[in-house]
Amino acid sequence: MHAEHLVFAELCARAPDLQVTVLTIIDQDWQAMTGDDWLNSSKTHATFLDHVERQMQEENEEDWQRIKETYPAAAGAVFTGVVGPIEETIAAQAKKRACDLIVIGPYRQSRRLFNLKMEKGLRARIDTAKLHPALPCPLLIAPPLLSAD
Amino acid sequence: MAQAQDNKPLFIISGILIVYALIASSGMLHPLMKYLHTAKTSDLQVTMGFICGGIGILGAIINSVRKPGNTIIDRFVLQPLPGILLILLMAMAIRWYVEPIVKLISHNLQPVLGFKIYKVLNLNYVVLGLLAGVLLTNTYGIPKFAAAGVKCARFVLKMGVIMLGARYSFAELAKLGTYSIFLVGTFVLGTVFFVLWLGNLFKQPKTMTGVLSAGMGVCGVSATVAVAPVVKAKSEEMAYTIGTILSFGIICMFVFPTIGHWAGMNPVQFGAWAGTGILNSAQVAAAALAFNAVDIKTLKVAEIFNITRVLFLPIIVLVLATWFGKETGKKLTFKEVVIDKFPIFIIGFLLLFAMSSMGLFSPPTHYKGKFIDFSYNDRSQITDKEWETLNDALKSNEIKGLSEEQMAAVTDLIAQRQIAGNYENRADKKVFNKQGEDRMFQLESVLAAAKAKEITLGKDVKGVIKHAIKQVHKKSKTVTTLTDCMIWFFAFGLIGLGMQITKKAILQAGGWPLAIGVISGVTKAVLSFFVVLWLVKDVVLK
Repeated sequence: MHAEHLVFAELCARAPDLQVTVLTIIDQDWQAMTGDDWLNSSKTHATFLDHVERQMQEENEEDWQRIKETYPAAAGAVFTGVVGPIEETIAAQAKKRACDLIVIGPYRQSRRLFNLKMEKGLRARIDTAKLHPALPCPLLIAPPLLSAD
Repeated sequence: MAQAQDNKPLFIISGILIVYALIASSGMLHPLMKYLHTAKTSDLQVTMGFICGGIGILGAIINSVRKPGNTIIDRFVLQPLPGILLILLMAMAIRWYVEPIVKLISHNLQPVLGFKIYKVLNLNYVVLGLLAGVLLTNTYGIPKFAAAGVKCARFVLKMGVIMLGARYSFAELAKLGTYSIFLVGTFVLGTVFFVLWLGNLFKQPKTMTGVLSAGMGVCGVSATVAVAPVVKAKSEEMAYTIGTILSFGIICMFVFPTIGHWAGMNPVQFGAWAGTGILNSAQVAAAALAFNAVDIKTLKVAEIFNITRVLFLPIIVLVLATWFGKETGKKLTFKEVVIDKFPIFIIGFLLLFAMSSMGLFSPPTHYKGKFIDFSYNDRSQITDKEWETLNDALKSNEIKGLSEEQMAAVTDLIAQRQIAGNYENRADKKVFNKQGEDRMFQLESVLAAAKAKEITLGKDVKGVIKHAIKQVHKKSKTVTTLTDCMIWFFAFGLIGLGMQITKKAILQAGGWPLAIGVISGVTKAVLSFFVVLWLVKDVVLK
């Protein structure tokens, strides 16, 4: 939310020709979530992982739709979803797309344990120690939006 | 050469196993083994070291000289071999070194703490193995070379359950089956509907309560995995549910055996309670072996409950699919819901049970007490608790009026924890068995004297001696081998499964799923505890 605001409301306003790719990563750790299950067959496992991927894709599309509706500048952006480890995927996609800049949101403290309201997706955070050495271009961390909290 | 480099871990692990077997066979480790009370298994340690190390070296050479392919042997033997041997090495180290050291440390800390840590936390080799797996995966991570082998844990656990099938009689299965159908039926369906009701009460989405009800009611993560696609659960609902079930299950794994011991539950009662109250089926097996890893009575009971639960899974999927189908109008086929979810390994379990019942593994004479087995193995031993009872009784002079030979037999039972010949005579079977027979005769005469009221023995002490005699009654060689393999399969499987319990998955717990999960999980555990104590009586198990 913070990164999308910075990109579409501020950077795109300053440089309307900016080519933006919105990358949503489906964390590959979903595969580890079934780790403790030994009773199901591999078919049931595969069905579960297919469901997770489909579900995440649907949720991503809803999110992308929200971005497009909120920021008119997002109409020309490319939206893509990739399954993989977070840090490696960011670096690999930036390299593949020859990006000049990567923009991510600020660190968010998880309040899962004490908050009854559910957060979206997996409780996963970017490991900066893993990401920084793999970066092919500069990284910009968006400041937190005061209205978001 | 590059392929040989890729197989370096396999060469190293196999080398460690062979070097260990060589050192152990030289007798250099004997004083240490004696100190750790593992000397009786020295032959097994050497054999396992040579066999596993030899297979490893052979696999590493094959992997080095030929290009890896996609054949069945590649996928199921050669690729997972490094991981399989790593887990085996861990299992051996934990069983013969870590567990005895933990026991010694606990014993030495007792004067300071006032209790034995290993007893309170039930830190036997099964629990320690699972913890070692969890620790490895959440610190260093699973080494890349071991990834394929770790995935075999599921298959190995299923093999353990299949082999367990050979250990039931018709009478046991009928009695335990009746208990399990009643208890599991009541608590599975009860919990599923309770969670659905709680979800409705707290106005939670049906997709979330659907997936949570199956996880809390049936068999934890397995049920969640099976039900999530059926009820179309959202990503966060699956993540929160799995996190809640995993964390709740791990706590139960430690708490249940301690409460079971504290409440004085017998193996049947504890197996029934664990099989009903603990969410994840792997944790049920771990808790049963944590309660008693010396013999497999508790495991036998718990697994029947586990199997009954698993058989309920397709029914619950059907119920939830119908319930969810009504909401969305989407109909699921019988094949999608029941046939695809049916756990095929249960057919293997029933097959082994049928073969065993037909006398394929054990002729009827084996159960008439005619054959006696004095060989060293965990199965022939008395339990730790029994050992303490007997040791305390001897120290406090409670055992009086015994002849010199009878007293010697009792003293030897304490020293060896089982009826057997002298350790140094184990190579000479004739002498060894004769000494064992004499000791058994003396112990039987102690019981006869107590029955005739010639001497006074406490009920507990009589129970220990009776159990020691029962333990050495020989079982069929095939059944014995299957049981030994099965114990190792469970130890192996639980280490491998521990390696797949990640901190990340546990940390997903929270929100309404945690609140509803705790309410329903605690209710199920408490109610099933009292129902089991009230309803389940001891069943005579082989």
